[in-house]
Amino acid sequence: MKLIKSIVRPNKVDDIREALEKLNVAGMTVTDVRGHGRQKGHTAVYRGKEYSVSLIPKVEIDVVVPNDLAEAVVTAIVESARTGEIGDGRVFVFPAEQGYNIRTGERDI
Amino acid sequence: MATTTDTVRLRPMTKEFRDNAAATLAAARDEYAADARKGRGGRATVQRYADRMDGLVGTVVDAARDRTATPFVVCALGGYGRRTLCLHSDIDLLIVFDGAIAQPEERFVNALLQPLWDLKLELGQHVRELAEFDASDTSNPELLLCLLDLRFLAGDASLFERVVARIAERPGPSVVLEPLLTLIEQRHQQFNNTHYQLEPDIKQAPGGLRDIAAVRHLRALAPHAFDGTIEADSDERLAEAEEFLLRIRSTLHLLGGRDVNHLTHELQEKVADALGTAGTHSHQRVESLMSEYFRRARTVTRAMASAARAVRPADPPPATRRVGRQFEINGDGVRFTNAERAANQPSLWVDAFRVALDHGCRVSERALSLIEQNLQRCTPDDFVSTEGERQQLRKLLVPRRGLYDRLSEMHDSGLLNGIFPEFAKVHCRVVRDFYHKYTVDEHTLLAIRGLESLLDPPNPGRRRFTSILQEVRAPELLTLALLFHDVGKWREADHAQESVRLAQSMLDRLELPDDERATVEFLIREHLQMSQVAFRRDSEDPQVAARFAELVGTEEHLKLLCLMTLADVGAVSPDTLTPWKEDLLWRVYVDTYNRLTLGYADQLLDKDPAGLAVLIAGRPGDITEPELVTFLAGLPRRYLSTFGLSAVYRHVRLARDIHPDEVHTFLEKHDDVWELTLVTLDKPFLFANISGVLSYFGMDIHRGQAMTTPNGLVLDVFEFTDDEGFLERNAAATTEISRMLEQAVAGAVDVTALLAGRMRGVLHRVRHHHRRPPVVHFDNEHSRKYTVLEIVADDAPGLLHRISRVISSQGCDVHLVLISTEGKRAIDVLHITRHGAKLPEADQAAVAEELQQALEAGE
Repeated sequence: MKLIKSIVRPNKVDDIREALEKLNVAGMTVTDVRGHGRQKGHTAVYRGKEYSVSLIPKVEIDVVVPNDLAEAVVTAIVESARTGEIGDGRVFVFPAEQGYNIRTGERDI
Repeated sequence: MATTTDTVRLRPMTKEFRDNAAATLAAARDEYAADARKGRGGRATVQRYADRMDGLVGTVVDAARDRTATPFVVCALGGYGRRTLCLHSDIDLLIVFDGAIAQPEERFVNALLQPLWDLKLELGQHVRELAEFDASDTSNPELLLCLLDLRFLAGDASLFERVVARIAERPGPSVVLEPLLTLIEQRHQQFNNTHYQLEPDIKQAPGGLRDIAAVRHLRALAPHAFDGTIEADSDERLAEAEEFLLRIRSTLHLLGGRDVNHLTHELQEKVADALGTAGTHSHQRVESLMSEYFRRARTVTRAMASAARAVRPADPPPATRRVGRQFEINGDGVRFTNAERAANQPSLWVDAFRVALDHGCRVSERALSLIEQNLQRCTPDDFVSTEGERQQLRKLLVPRRGLYDRLSEMHDSGLLNGIFPEFAKVHCRVVRDFYHKYTVDEHTLLAIRGLESLLDPPNPGRRRFTSILQEVRAPELLTLALLFHDVGKWREADHAQESVRLAQSMLDRLELPDDERATVEFLIREHLQMSQVAFRRDSEDPQVAARFAELVGTEEHLKLLCLMTLADVGAVSPDTLTPWKEDLLWRVYVDTYNRLTLGYADQLLDKDPAGLAVLIAGRPGDITEPELVTFLAGLPRRYLSTFGLSAVYRHVRLARDIHPDEVHTFLEKHDDVWELTLVTLDKPFLFANISGVLSYFGMDIHRGQAMTTPNGLVLDVFEFTDDEGFLERNAAATTEISRMLEQAVAGAVDVTALLAGRMRGVLHRVRHHHRRPPVVHFDNEHSRKYTVLEIVADDAPGLLHRISRVISSQGCDVHLVLISTEGKRAIDVLHITRHGAKLPEADQAAVAEELQQALEAGE
C-alpha cells in the first residue's frame, strides 16, 4: 500500500475528488494547511502598503491505495490539480506498512 | 499479626451475595428501561432508581461494615445525592470515618467499592476523615459543590450530622458561590454560550440539566438574593423542563447503553419516537422534539441568567436613574417609567433596547414581561409607523458591544419576531448538514455577534476586518441583511432567493431609500458568493476575479459582503472560521478592492444605448434619450453601479447647459451627513480648489468621488459633516458656498491663500496629536491608462486640497478621485496622467517627495 499525500490549491479539491472517485478511490482525508514551496509566498499591496503573504493557504489530501493503483492516482491528482502556474502544489508517495479498520479490527490487504 | 478473626473478616464476598446484588441491579435497570423505552424516564423514574441504588449500596455496606470498628458514614453526592440518578449515571459516594484511616478502614472501603465495581457501576468516591473537613479549604471547588447535595445512605447517622455541621461552619456561601459561577461560565463557554445547539448535550449544554441543578443551588445558597424576584410559576416551569430533559436523557442512556448525553441527529429520531412526539414523518417528529427542547432550554437559560445576576449584583448597586421621560435604569436594567403607557406604545419597547445598548445594561425582567404580555396585540407596522420610529430601529441595529445580547433578549421575548415576522419562519429551525451547529435563528444572531466582536478583535488577523467595519457607511444595513440572510431556510431549496423575497415586506415597512434597499437585497441574495470564490474557486484566475468584481460593483458592496461572509462563516460553528479561511477571504477582498479602485477608470460607458434600457425607460419627461446618453458617454462603467436612478437623472440636469468657468451644484442632507454634487468643466487645479473651498468652510470630507470624462465634463460628489455648524447656523450658508465655488472654478479667488489663515488656527489646535507617517504609493500595473496614486494619511483639515494641489503643480491631470476614511485615517485614490500618459518611475519619485513634504508641512 502507498500513502499519497498531496498539497494542492484549495479550489482544486472537488476536481481531485471527482478524479479519484473515477478510480474507485473513495476514502480521503482533507486538511486545511498553510505553507509555501519554492515561490516562498508573494507580496500584495493594500492601500499603498506592501505586505508579504509568506504562508499561503493550501489543502492537504491524504489517500491510501494499493500499490498497483498508486501511479494512476498520482497521475489523476497531478492532472486535476494542475493550472500550469507557480503554486500548483506537490504530491508525495510513501510506503504504508499496514492499515486497520477500527470498527471491525480487520486488517487492510 | 493476623488473627483468626481477621482472616474471617477478610473473606471475599460470597458468590451468592454477588449474584443477589447483580440481580437487584438488573431488576432496577429493567424497571428503569421499561419507563425509558416508553419515553417516561422522568423525575419519578430517576428517583425510584436512586432509591433502588440506595438499597443496593446499603446491602453492600452491611456486608462490609465488620471490616472496621471506626464509626463511619456513607453518603450520596451530586446527582445521586439529589436522587436524580439516570440509568448509567456515575454513583458519587462520600465515605467519612470518625477517626484515622488505617488498614481496617481501607479494607472496609475495598469491601464496599469492589462489589460495586464488579457490577460495572461508574463510581466517584471520596474517602475522608472527619478531621479533614476543614472549613477554610476551598481547593477543590467541584467537591464543595458536590457536598451541596450530600445525602445520608448508610452508617452512623450521628456522624452524618456532624459532617453536615462541619460543612455548615464554612465562612459563608461565597466560598461555594464564586467557584460555582466560574464553573458555570466555563461550561457555557464550551458551547459558545448558547443553548441553540443542533446536537445538544442534554446535561452540560446551556439550558441543560446541570443548569437546573445550578439554579437550585444558587437559590439555596443565597436565598436573600431572590427575595420577591422568583416568579410564582418559575419553579413549576423549571420542574417541567427537568422532566422533559430527564426523559430524553433516560432514553439516551437506554439507547447508548452508557452515560450518553449527546442528542445527535441520529438519536433525535429515536428519542422522538420513544417520547411519542407529534408528527407523521420522522423529520416532523424530530422538529417537534427539538422545538420543545429549545423552548425548555430557553426557560432554563433564563432562570440561570436571572439567578446568576441575583447572586452577583453590581458592586455597588447602581442608584435608579432616569433616562428621558420614558425610562429608568436600576440594577435590574432598563424599566419603563410608566408601565401603562408603555403597554400601549410598541415603539417604546424597541427604544428600551436602544437605551440598554447606550448604557451598557440589559432590559429588566419586568420590562420584558410587559413586552411579552402585550406583544400579541401588535402588528409589525406598529413598530415603524413614523420616520422617527424607523430611524430608532436603524440605530438599534448598529453593530456595537451588547448587540447580540440585546437581540437575543428581543428574540427570547418574542419581540424580534414581532418586529420582523419573517424571521419567525426560522424560529428554532433545524437544518441538518455536516457543518452547522446551531439552529438557523441562533446562527443568525451569532453572525451578528461575530460582527460585534470585530470591535474587540481577538487577534491581529481579525483586526484587518475591523478596519473595514469602521469604513462602511451604514453598518446597520449589515445587521439587517444578516437578520434576513437565512430566513429562506424555512424551506429546502435556494434559500438566498427566498430570503430576498421575504425581505421585501420588511424593506417596505422600513422605507429604506432605493440605494440602501438595493444594498440589503444584494447582500442577502449574494451572501454565499464571496465564500464560494474564496474557498471553492481559483480566486487568482483573472476571469473568476473579474466576474466577482463585476458582481460586487462597488467598494462599499465589497466591504459589506466581506464582513457578512466573515460573520456568516464564523457563526457556523466555533471551529469553522480558521486563520486559513480568514487568509483566503482577505486575499479575495484585497484583490477585488484593488481591481475596483485601481482599475475603476479603465472601462468607460460609450454612446451605445444598449444596456441603458432601464435608465432610458425610467427617465423623467424633461430628459431626452440623446441628452441622457451623451451625458453618460465617457463616464466610468462603475458610475451606473455606484449611483441610483434618481441620482443619475439629477446629474444629467446639473450637466445641462454647463459652460467653461461655470459650476452647477446641488446640496442635500442625509441624517448628519451633507452631500454636495457638482458638475463643471475640467481645468488645472480644479479639484484642489473645490476641495479647498469645502475645507475653508470647515467641512470634514469623509467620502466622495470625482470623475472626468474624455470630453472634459467633471462630476464630483462629496460627503461631509459640518462639525462647526456653518450650514446649520447660517441661513445664507448654501448660497455662500455656491458663490465661493463659482469663484474658485472661475479662478476669481486664490483658494490656497484663503485657506492658509484658517489652516493655521485649526492646525494649531491639532498639532499635538500623535500622527502616523503617511503612505504614498504609485501603481502603474492595475490600470491600462492611468497611474494610480494611493495616499493613506491621518485626516486633517485641507488634506485633500494639499494633495491635489501638489499633483496639479507637478503638471499632472487628475482624472478620477476616490475618497474614503477609516476612522481618523484618510484614504485617497487618484488616477492621474501627465501629458496624457502614465508617470514613469522617476516622475513618481518626484511627486512622492513633494507629497511627503506637503503632508509633513501640514502636520
